[in-house]
Amino acid sequence: MYCISEKQIDFILNDISARGIEMVSLQQDLLDHICCIIEHNLENDGDFENFYLDTISSFYKHDLKEIEEETINLQTFKNYYIMKKIMLVSGTFSAFILTIGILFKFMHWPGAAVMILAGILILSFVFLPLLFILKAKEKKDSKDKIIIALGAIASISMSLGILFKIMHWPFANILCISAIVIMVLLFLPIYFISGIKNPDTKINTIVSSLIIIVGSALILTLVRSPAGTKKENISSTQNFLINEHILENEKLIARKNQIKDAIQTDFEKSSFEIYILADEIKSYLLKKETGESKIESNFENKNVLIGETRVTDLLDSNFEKINILKNKIESYNASLPSSMHKIEINNSIIIKKDKKIDAALNDLIQIQMIALQNQSLYLKN
Amino acid sequence: MLYSSELIKGTLKTIVLKQLENNKRMYGYEITQKVKELTKNRIQITEGALYPTLHSLETEGLVTVETEYIGKRVRKYYSLSPDGKIKIDEKINELTDFFETMKFILDIKPQVI
Repeated sequence: MYCISEKQIDFILNDISARGIEMVSLQQDLLDHICCIIEHNLENDGDFENFYLDTISSFYKHDLKEIEEETINLQTFKNYYIMKKIMLVSGTFSAFILTIGILFKFMHWPGAAVMILAGILILSFVFLPLLFILKAKEKKDSKDKIIIALGAIASISMSLGILFKIMHWPFANILCISAIVIMVLLFLPIYFISGIKNPDTKINTIVSSLIIIVGSALILTLVRSPAGTKKENISSTQNFLINEHILENEKLIARKNQIKDAIQTDFEKSSFEIYILADEIKSYLLKKETGESKIESNFENKNVLIGETRVTDLLDSNFEKINILKNKIESYNASLPSSMHKIEINNSIIIKKDKKIDAALNDLIQIQMIALQNQSLYLKN
Repeated sequence: MLYSSELIKGTLKTIVLKQLENNKRMYGYEITQKVKELTKNRIQITEGALYPTLHSLETEGLVTVETEYIGKRVRKYYSLSPDGKIKIDEKINELTDFFETMKFILDIKPQVI
């Protein structure tokens, strides 16, 4: 029986780690194993180095590192099952609460938003990434891995885009459009070409490609292009401008009816205040939205457009004028003769501050209009 | 006759677990020698197959490891964990069932109806 010296043990250990075995516990296993073989099989006066090299080369096909690679492979195989289970459970769960959430949304029951949010988030950040990891692991070819990565990125941004869309969050259109671009222009061609070559996957590839095209087209109908947005903005700005003109005319008519130098009654005073206050709020909102406090008729050339920002996003926290206006309108309504129309505020920007700016401006003009017309009617009587 | 490593691969976990059941605790080299001896050299477990298998059994929690110093080097003794003791019967039953199926599909034993 050969007796191995400590120096030789160090030599073996260094050699094992130089050959790419990095896991300490595996190094220990192999070291002990090699020592056992040497001790049992080498003569007392045998050639240690040659015997060692022969022994170690019988451990592998190409290089020693493959033992460590195989170990890691087998160990992650265990995680593979756990990951697969999590993937299936999260997928089922997100599909379930998403469906329930959408049902609730249709019925206008509370809790819909939370369920849809949770469903899509789990889908995008648990199910789809796990699906990608597991699928990518199954494939050896790096081209297949790229296809799967592209598919994963596209589907994650697609589901987030739709979430942003239904939650009315910003950047929804950008997310959806980039998802569709990745899906149709990158993923689909590579997937289609590589799948159609293989007779086994040919039919499947054609069917899935068609479904992807139809699905993308359907989603595209939900999304507005930048040009479409601009068109929409031009039309709402135009609308606002026309309303302003109508209001101006109405104001001139009201002024004509006014008796010069007559003492203003309280009623006249309060309608005047409401008119001015609404005007100030309008300028404030316009300034915040477009940078200009008034819309001119050449707005299209100057590219001063009213978009779709929510008023809550435009208001500074110390902006009190809307509340002041609300109080004024309430006392105005209370003092109004019963034959006249009250200024309705329950569904207007005065109460519902999360309206979009175009609707809000419209509400304010309507308030001004009613105030003016009531005043004209009041004076005529 | 020496069996190909392809054939042994799928049964290696069961072979290792069974050896650990019979011998309480063993180190790697000992397992290869024991199997070689029992099968009269027909099954020779390679190092490249044994250690990945042992490590994977360890991550699955089916075997436990104790280390002992033999001079300067460490010897790792593997033994069955409580989970492993339960799993071993399951593994052997699965394999027996598999052999029956193989016998049938390869026409070694005609199916009795």
